[in-house]
Amino acid sequence: MASKKTAQKTLRLAPVLDLNEATALHEKLLALKGSAVAIDASAVERIGALCVQVLIAGAKNSEEQQLSFTFAKVSDAFVKTTQLIGVDIDPLMAKEI
Amino acid sequence: MKKRVLTVDDSRTIRNMLLVTLNNAGFETIQAEDGVEGLEVLEEANPDVIVTDINMPRLDGFGFIEGVRKNERYRAVPILVLTTESDAEKKNRARQAGATGWIVKPFDPTKLIDAIERVTA
Amino acid sequence: MDMNEIKEIFFQECEEQLAELESGLLKLNDGDRDPETVNAVFRAVHSIKGGAGAFGLDDLVSFAHVFETTLDCVRSNRLEPNQDVLKVMLKSADVLADLTNAARDGGSVDEARSRQLIKELEALANGELPPASAAEPAPKAVAPAPEPVAAPPVNEEGFQPVAFSFEDFEANEPALIEATCYEIVFRPKSELYAKGNDATLLLRDLSRLGEMSIHCDMDGLPPLDRMNPEAAYFSWKISLKTDKGEDAIRSVFEFAEWDCDLDIALADGCAVDASEELPMQPVPFDLSMLDEAPVGSVEEEEQIATRDRDAAVSAAETASNVLQMAQSSTRAPAEAQKNATAAASAAAQQAASAATPTIRVDLDRVDRLINLVGELVINQAMLSQSVIENDTNGTSSINMGLEELQQLTREIQDSVMAIRAQPVKPVFQRMSRIVREIADMTGKSVRLVTEGENTEVDKTVIDKLAEPLTHMIRNAVDHGLETPEKRLAAGKSAEGTVRLTAKHRSGRIVIELADDGAGINREKVRQKAIDNDLIAADANLSDEEIDNLIFHAGFSTADKISDISGRGVGMDVVKRSIQALGGRINISSKPGQGSVFTMSLPLTLAVLDGMVVTVANQTLVVPLTAIVETLQPEASAIHSFGATQRLISIRNSFCPLVDVGRILNFRATQANPVEGVALLVESEGGGQRALMVDAIQGQRQVVIKSLEANYTHVPGIAAATILGDGRVALILDVDAIVAASRGQTLKPEMSLAAAG
Repeated sequence: MASKKTAQKTLRLAPVLDLNEATALHEKLLALKGSAVAIDASAVERIGALCVQVLIAGAKNSEEQQLSFTFAKVSDAFVKTTQLIGVDIDPLMAKEI
Repeated sequence: MKKRVLTVDDSRTIRNMLLVTLNNAGFETIQAEDGVEGLEVLEEANPDVIVTDINMPRLDGFGFIEGVRKNERYRAVPILVLTTESDAEKKNRARQAGATGWIVKPFDPTKLIDAIERVTA
Repeated sequence: MDMNEIKEIFFQECEEQLAELESGLLKLNDGDRDPETVNAVFRAVHSIKGGAGAFGLDDLVSFAHVFETTLDCVRSNRLEPNQDVLKVMLKSADVLADLTNAARDGGSVDEARSRQLIKELEALANGELPPASAAEPAPKAVAPAPEPVAAPPVNEEGFQPVAFSFEDFEANEPALIEATCYEIVFRPKSELYAKGNDATLLLRDLSRLGEMSIHCDMDGLPPLDRMNPEAAYFSWKISLKTDKGEDAIRSVFEFAEWDCDLDIALADGCAVDASEELPMQPVPFDLSMLDEAPVGSVEEEEQIATRDRDAAVSAAETASNVLQMAQSSTRAPAEAQKNATAAASAAAQQAASAATPTIRVDLDRVDRLINLVGELVINQAMLSQSVIENDTNGTSSINMGLEELQQLTREIQDSVMAIRAQPVKPVFQRMSRIVREIADMTGKSVRLVTEGENTEVDKTVIDKLAEPLTHMIRNAVDHGLETPEKRLAAGKSAEGTVRLTAKHRSGRIVIELADDGAGINREKVRQKAIDNDLIAADANLSDEEIDNLIFHAGFSTADKISDISGRGVGMDVVKRSIQALGGRINISSKPGQGSVFTMSLPLTLAVLDGMVVTVANQTLVVPLTAIVETLQPEASAIHSFGATQRLISIRNSFCPLVDVGRILNFRATQANPVEGVALLVESEGGGQRALMVDAIQGQRQVVIKSLEANYTHVPGIAAATILGDGRVALILDVDAIVAASRGQTLKPEMSLAAAG
């Protein structure tokens, strides 16, 4: 995967990613535009579809910009919810090299 | 973590039933007696889900739901409405006001818990 | 708390709602058109129906439902609540009360009446005016209505077939063994999220129905900078293999049906394993993390908490990692907040209930407390007395302390008494139904006006007040008020007014019942008294004395025994029950303008302000409220009259002297009035008597101890008390003493009055 060598920024997700958090998350991702992003989802207890939408939009955006967008750490709840709603985050998982 | 339920109902009978049912099911229950009080205690109650009646003094269920939906912090909280019968018109008004779902009375503990489970994570 | 207790609460609440209902309807009847009044009335019925439904009280539910439907018409301005409409509604309120009582106590109700009212209510809801005859007193016409209501109206409207119910679901479950595959397309709208729902929750519930594969369609997702984070972009195509049927699938989306596009179709084959053109992701069945049960997750919370703490500690240790530091420092306050929330949760609950300024306490507990406080008062008095007896200088700090104790005791007593104090409102409210019923029966038009309903008095007094008051109200409507025709002829309005008021006056509650009827027909009363041998034919009585004759036993002015106020009970019974409460009753009447009954009652039956006196070496307590004045008789003021009677002249009038010691049989001979003290008392009927006692010891508040409960009734004695020196003192029943002094007949009294 071709990615420009820029400083990678980590975004730590809140435990509850509901309707309210969608806007906040959106803003945070917009602020990180132009950077490689590592998402820390280890604290996530609950995530709704709206926040998944925002994250996927963020991932797509990074892909278009050829920046890396990875899930550095994920919680069980995060993985299971994405599985449940048919959103495959495997390709975005940070790979140990 | 115990889920926190805010119930809003002016009937002492129904309040007690809700309290007993919810406590038995392992919820933490906070109760208000009408819409106005419901909005007042919202912050303290910090609920995961709200169960509200429609016909109440001071501020009815519709107004209460609208109030919650306008609250920046709590607008995403699921709200279940207690309706006496499957009154389509009332359901519709409740939905328009922003209710998530409803529980049809007569009061049935199983239905209540089931509905709460359905709208909470 | 179990269901029985809640049921009891329900009935208590019903009582309150019924009172609310009635007072609301009465306000409407008076022309109040405040929407909140209508709402309150509606809510009251609605609330009764809601609770009744929970307890399966079907009769109550169906009547309340019809009532509610009609009230809803009023609420939505489709029905003008005029007097005729309200008449039906007030009667319906009475029936609702009867049904509630029947549900609680298992009695039966007048079914014909309920059916008739259901019909009338339905007619009103359907825009038909009440039959003209409904305005007439037609109690009998109402009864025969055996014609069964064709179709229970309950099912006619409001109830639509419910698409799904859990009962059906569970019943059908075993029948559907064959697992079927469905293809579901689910497109949520943004509103779904705005209403606190979430696609993830619906998909979670769906996945529980069986084996599920899912494809998330993200094609609609706009670029990050052009998306609305709260809009719905994702949609889903789901393949589900379930044995629960389509209804179960639909029920998952029950709450969301307005806020999503949903397509459910039977699939030809199960796509669960097969990979079709769309990449389907099988959903693992183990989603335990998501359906975190509300119970038993405490451990987990603790784990998280521990983890957080550990993180914080380790973060502090490895201070080199700045980022981690920053992270943990943001978490730490969050955790602190969590703890604070937990600690505050109890407080929050308290605060939530703090909006309710009342608590409900078992009456027994209050009574026990009152009893104990009574003992405390006695004990304090005894302590004071013994200190005074053993302490001659009287200025010691013990005395000061004792005074404070006394003050404190008195305050505690007052506060405790206040707990039992209740507004007279519920009793007053009950009276309006009585008025309605009798007005209906007698064909009179009556309006009950109540004032001072919030005046408070001891609960025991309230409980015992209902009966005499009911009787007096019946009497006022039946005998006091004239028929509409007579009223019009007399230049009055056709509608009579009965006014019931309560107020506090000098430590007592005064209840007044006034009617604007014809007043007492003194000639008739006098004649009746003569006929009944109550007074001598030539007796010269004042108007007041004639009026008070109606309180005499066996007296009834009604020409024939009416089954309304008659019932073989006269005003004498009313008077006796009022007296039993330590009260007094009086009547004043103006011909053509009406009568006023005035009752004065003590605020509590637990304590009494009394004058402690000595009679033949016995200590007695005379209720202070009975005493007008005390005086020292002089020999010149005493006049003998007949064989045993004596009079005392006070300011140019004569007053019979009553020898208390003689009447109570404390001594065999008459005491010398000049050696004693005379207590001028107000006796029944307004006349005064001078009670002769040997000496006055003082004045104090005493705790009333029932003689009946602890011993047996003693004629002339109302109750007993324990004094500071530990001795039992009897409390005098002044009226009984006075009555005994004249041998229970009115004749001597009348001749005395004539002599005065």
